[in-house]
Amino acid sequence: MEHTSVLERVLRGAALTLVVIFFMFPLFWIFLMSFQTNETILRIPPSLVFTPTLENYQALITGKLQTAAGSLDIAFMRNLWNSVFLSVTSVAVSLLLGVPAAYAFARHKFRGSEDIAFTLLSFRFAPPLLVLLPLTIYFQQLGLANTYFGLIWVYQLICLPLILWIVRGYFEDIPADIEYAYRIGGHSWFATFRKIALPLAGPGIAAAGLLAFIFAWNNFVFALVLASADKQPVTVGALAFVTASGIQYGQIAAAIVLSITPTLALALYAQRYLVEGLSLGAVKG
Amino acid sequence: MTAVVSQGRSRSRFRIGKRALPYVLSLPALLVCIGILIPFLTAAWYSLHRYRLSQPWGYKFIWFDNYLAFFSDPKFWNTLRVSLVYAGTTVVLELLLGLAIALLLQKRTTLNNFISIMLLMPLMTAPALAALMWKLMTNPGFGILSYFAGLIGLEDFRWASSPSTALLTVVLVDIWVYTPFIMILLLAGLRSLPTQPFEAAALDGVPRTFVFFRITLPMLTPYILTATLFRLLDSIQQFDIIYAMTQGGPGDTLTVFQVEAYLNFFQSTNVGRSAALMIILWAITYFLSNIFIKNWLRLRERARGEA
Amino acid sequence: MYEREKDLIGAFLRGQVDRRGLIKGLGAMGLAAGTAGTLLNLGQTRALAADFDWQAHKGKSLKLLLNKHPYADAMIANLQTFKDLTGIEVTYDVFPEDVYFDKVTAALSSGSSEYDAFMTGAYMTWTYGPAGWITDLNEWIKDPAKTNPNYAWDDMLPGVRKSCAWNGQPGGVLGSDDAKQWCIPWGYEQNNLTYNKEMFDKAGVGIPANLDELVANSAKLTKDVGGGVYGIGVRGSRSWATIHPGFLSAYANFGQKDLNVSADGKLSAAMNTAESKAFHAKWVQMIQESGPKDWSTYTWYQVGTDLGAGASASIFDADILGYFMNGGDNKMAGKLAYAAFKANPAAEAPTPNIWIWSLAMSNFAKDKDATWYFLQWASGPEHAIFGATKMDFVNPVRASVWKDEMFREKLKKSYPGYVEMHDVSAPGASIKFTAQPLFFDLTTEWAATLQKMVAKEVPVDEGLDQLAQSIDGQLKEAGLG
Repeated sequence: MEHTSVLERVLRGAALTLVVIFFMFPLFWIFLMSFQTNETILRIPPSLVFTPTLENYQALITGKLQTAAGSLDIAFMRNLWNSVFLSVTSVAVSLLLGVPAAYAFARHKFRGSEDIAFTLLSFRFAPPLLVLLPLTIYFQQLGLANTYFGLIWVYQLICLPLILWIVRGYFEDIPADIEYAYRIGGHSWFATFRKIALPLAGPGIAAAGLLAFIFAWNNFVFALVLASADKQPVTVGALAFVTASGIQYGQIAAAIVLSITPTLALALYAQRYLVEGLSLGAVKG
Repeated sequence: MTAVVSQGRSRSRFRIGKRALPYVLSLPALLVCIGILIPFLTAAWYSLHRYRLSQPWGYKFIWFDNYLAFFSDPKFWNTLRVSLVYAGTTVVLELLLGLAIALLLQKRTTLNNFISIMLLMPLMTAPALAALMWKLMTNPGFGILSYFAGLIGLEDFRWASSPSTALLTVVLVDIWVYTPFIMILLLAGLRSLPTQPFEAAALDGVPRTFVFFRITLPMLTPYILTATLFRLLDSIQQFDIIYAMTQGGPGDTLTVFQVEAYLNFFQSTNVGRSAALMIILWAITYFLSNIFIKNWLRLRERARGEA
Repeated sequence: MYEREKDLIGAFLRGQVDRRGLIKGLGAMGLAAGTAGTLLNLGQTRALAADFDWQAHKGKSLKLLLNKHPYADAMIANLQTFKDLTGIEVTYDVFPEDVYFDKVTAALSSGSSEYDAFMTGAYMTWTYGPAGWITDLNEWIKDPAKTNPNYAWDDMLPGVRKSCAWNGQPGGVLGSDDAKQWCIPWGYEQNNLTYNKEMFDKAGVGIPANLDELVANSAKLTKDVGGGVYGIGVRGSRSWATIHPGFLSAYANFGQKDLNVSADGKLSAAMNTAESKAFHAKWVQMIQESGPKDWSTYTWYQVGTDLGAGASASIFDADILGYFMNGGDNKMAGKLAYAAFKANPAAEAPTPNIWIWSLAMSNFAKDKDATWYFLQWASGPEHAIFGATKMDFVNPVRASVWKDEMFREKLKKSYPGYVEMHDVSAPGASIKFTAQPLFFDLTTEWAATLQKMVAKEVPVDEGLDQLAQSIDGQLKEAGLG
């Protein structure tokens, strides 16, 4: 692999540049829009020349939006907080429930294990729309409608199957010999799980957790249907800028930037678990 | 594997029966999810009814009439076709692209790590909002992408608004949002592959295409299957992007399952028909995943056997 | 202290002094406008309280479901007046328009008692009413013990008021004697022309007098204004929202209908007549020649955005959309003008189809009498004047507000032609659809057919025949045809 030719390196570089442009350009453009008002965003043809303004961010953070129809109160920061709270809690619960289950499926081929695993995954098949009406009715009867608890429970449908299946794969990749050796040394299964299996599957768990976080973050139909305005996530909040007196593209762009930031920060923080030194390969080799 | 573990002597302070342990570990997860079964069954029950909320007097049990009506309904067959085409196109393209990017970023350099995180950003943008922005960027007047298209001679490119390019445009947005999902899973997979076989192959001077198809790809297959499975489940149920970009139009070009079911439920309040559509969609995903899981298990056994 | 001022306000409330006189008089006494407003509200509260027990439901609480809209904003700005008047506590949930009706449907279909009253459109009540989710408000409106004497129900514009009443029979005439008042009109939108004066002057075109002129003028505008500007903005997304504004207003002006209602109450499609086909052909030609290039994705906010940003020369859509585009930070603010539009040369007056933001009472409301207190206040004359003069509550549904000089002055000053447009087309303004439970199915399919015609996937006459056939099938299947 070390003998890469110059030509190949140039080609790889060019391909990577194209990839980065394709995925980054729209975000770059959204980023620029977040510093503009509709007046400069809506130009024919579009142009890069504009005087940047912090108006959009100011409106989002202070909660006052100036439109043609006067000043509006917006609850964007509240929405952002809801998204953070719902996603973090849901993923935490999913990890707590999902990782041990994934370990069980990977290590103990017990009777019916595949069936249970498949059943758990199959919750991911059910289109949310299908269960929406009955779910709303039952939630009202159980008093779960309009509670964070109810929402976090429903969010398990998004997070749990994803975590379970991805983490299971990583557990299976850990050679059983390592754990066996540790247990021979007189340690309980729990100690083995905690000291050996968990650290080795760390990157997988981090990756699965991050992806589950993103999917939870992007979901809004459950919160919309099951909860009142004060528990809505950031997506619903951003749609509020499609106002009767015109669509506020600048604010939507700023809302996107603000809503990506926490997830991006999390991803950058988890980076070393995600892509750095995956100890798995070393162990196996 | 089970044998190996169960032979180990545990000296834990409290003991859970060897046979019970896996059940104890997986039960909480199952219990949390099982709650959803009740609404699911209720919805399946609805699908056997003539059930329009706006005509409550017409409510009655009609066996499978909602399903049977689909057979003679050209709109349903269109929905089925469009959904499968959409899911097939997006998954295949995203898989190829995701794999290519993962291979480009395989080496553990700081730059590569940074790029791989940056590339996740489209995935972090809520699809409903991303679609709103793409709609603006493809607007013939204000849109920067339309402007670029004009520069390369496509002055009259209509993006999502023309029946001939609507699917293409929506697939493009889907690729933009979801390729990073496949990329990150495959990248993690690639980097966790054992180095031994590759070193041996390099020593023997085995051609690189051979290494890729005979070593890399087979060892990566379980990861590819996991990524494909989740992407397929989401893609065949795609709603946010399609609805925000075209609402299923122009004409009936993009009336996929979820769009149809959404309109049937929220606008027409035809609960029976909407539920029947969703049950069919559920059956399709169930069937497809079953195939995937079987192969996944088989391939995993084999991959581990070889390693 | 403010004795003289209070006398003046009293005179105003007794109808001896008009509003302008009042504010002028108060100004002369050295009162700042803000103080005058406060005093006026105080006076309002007292006047309202005069001969009706507003405090009957003191201590109760209500929750509203509202759409993010200037009407809701105007109500929220004045809500303290209601709380002071009645002692009823009011909370509210505001949702963005994009997801608002999904939220309403979800809340009502599950029988949630969380919300007592909510904003709705009249079309939606054709589902909500028969489904048993909302209450017939006649019971309260007609009960003097429950409705305050100043409410003046007859002050509501008749076409608008009737459009919110339906007997629940598929095809039943709106506002018939046996009709149920499913909702109370709050603000409404007529569909007329809003145009860019500068662009019209530049291209040398005048205000079109009929559909043929509209088609020709729009083509000329597209050709002559330049800079990528197109002639006419209309909606085109695959939704009922494409049918109801300009399209149906012009269609109805030719005496065409969506559905036929037979003597025995059966419904059948009516859009495949020769006249309808000729109309569709012209409409489709207009979009192909001079509509937005990506018309088939267009909903109201794109139609509005293009006009406000100077990408289109005119729109045939909701008048209040044109109103909002003439203000704020829109590039074309101050350059727009308004005109009523009569598509059919043979017709006597415009016949705009209308959208009505209304208030409805949930059938699951915990206390309907208390909820009615809120509804009669929010749709009452005092709040209507407040909204119209102080906030952006266009277009009010009360005749008395349209007669209010201050309101007319405010519009005339910065919205040229708006008042005249309203006066010309208001008599013919009403909902032109046939009320029936399949409204959303049929209009969505209608829009999809229009999209196919504009994309030249199907010829106009063939497309309409197919549409009529499909609609007849669906009506039969639902037991309506």
